[in-house]
Amino acid sequence: MTFVRQAGAIAAKDLRIEIRGRHGLGTVLPFAATLLIAFGLSIGPGRSLLQRTAPGLLWLAMLFASVLAFRRTYEAEGEDGALEGLVLAPIDKAAVFLGKAAAVAAQLVVLWVAVLLLVSALFDLSLGGDVAVVVAACLLGTVGLAAVGSLFGVLTESPRAREAVVPLLVLPLAVPVLLSGVKATSLALAGLGSQAGGWLGLLVAFDVVFLAAGTIVFEHLLED
Amino acid sequence: MAPSSTSNALLTAPNEPSTSIEDSAVSLSRVTRIFGVTPALVRVDLEVARGEVLLVRGPNGAGKSTLLGVLATTLAPTYGSGSVLGFALDRGRDQIRRRMELIGHHTRLYEDLTARENLRFWASLFGGDTSRVDPALEAVGLGPAGDDRVRGYSQGMRQRVAVARALLREPELLLLDEPYAGLDEEAKASVDGLIDETAARGATVVLATHDPTRGGAAGRTLYMDAGRIVPDPMAGGRAP
Repeated sequence: MTFVRQAGAIAAKDLRIEIRGRHGLGTVLPFAATLLIAFGLSIGPGRSLLQRTAPGLLWLAMLFASVLAFRRTYEAEGEDGALEGLVLAPIDKAAVFLGKAAAVAAQLVVLWVAVLLLVSALFDLSLGGDVAVVVAACLLGTVGLAAVGSLFGVLTESPRAREAVVPLLVLPLAVPVLLSGVKATSLALAGLGSQAGGWLGLLVAFDVVFLAAGTIVFEHLLED
Repeated sequence: MAPSSTSNALLTAPNEPSTSIEDSAVSLSRVTRIFGVTPALVRVDLEVARGEVLLVRGPNGAGKSTLLGVLATTLAPTYGSGSVLGFALDRGRDQIRRRMELIGHHTRLYEDLTARENLRFWASLFGGDTSRVDPALEAVGLGPAGDDRVRGYSQGMRQRVAVARALLREPELLLLDEPYAGLDEEAKASVDGLIDETAARGATVVLATHDPTRGGAAGRTLYMDAGRIVPDPMAGGRAP
């Protein structure tokens, strides 16, 4: 079985489980919506302030909601010891990492669509202008978040790890994604998308680094 | 009998790995495994011939599961060395895993997938041959329930799916860690059937169980206590 097929089998399995369990629809999306509403209420009714802070709130909501998605993708592996089966399977463990990252990324893309629509409605934000830059930032950020989350999410199933280990590791590491994503989105929404190239480049670099790191070190995390 | 006639393509790879060091199914030399400061295995020496069915008995905490974990390569020895199916435990892990099946406390099934989907997934990871899925489900009496989600299965039905997964592969070494725990007679019979089938084609079986009514196919019984292989008290204190 080729590497790509192995990764595809892992991704297809994870997505099937997600669709059956409706975890994203039932937990992650309501969590993101609750965060956005809470952020909006805490900032107050000033329309211009809400619109200025909307990119930051959008990315923060996605970041926190992503952590839930990362944990869920490994919960299914721990329910009846399936992770041990992946350890024992004669496959390249990097395929497990990339398959899981692909499945998480697909879930996050769906979440992005819902959250963008929600932000647009709640904060009266127009997504016009440089929408291509917004989409590019979201997609590149999704890849980076999926890579970090799939790499460290496996620690939730380690008998030596605590429940908080994933947010404690993922949230600081995801700061470059958060920063670049907020900046690129802000520029795009202000009609200055042409100036967002550097931030998008940073997102690309982050994606490359964490996809490569995950491919190399995931086996060690899985075996431990 | 050597299991070289198996039909599993994974077991007949043309490139014989250089890590092959001997021909017995299991050979352990002074293997010790320590968790923290607690020794779970203490200087265990063990030889198991190819084709042998070995029964491992002992009280809770005797080290049976740790022994099987070492053989399955999920646990590395803290000290000592050994080989499984001719491959060194430290360097031949991937080769051992290709040839071995472990049925343990967990059935390693995904609850939101059906039994058939679970078996297809594992079959695809173990070589891509999914044509055996339906016959394997039929063999364990789960053909009609194969499209039900595992979440609704009893423990016995789950263990029968785990048995069906082992039937997909024809492993050279079958490791069973308390496979009868919590099972009804039908499910226990499925496990017995798997052991008989595995032994009949000349593969090696290591079975750890508390159930005194099981293990009849075993040619030898090993008794463990406090991480050591000790004389079996039920056999008048004879050493294994």
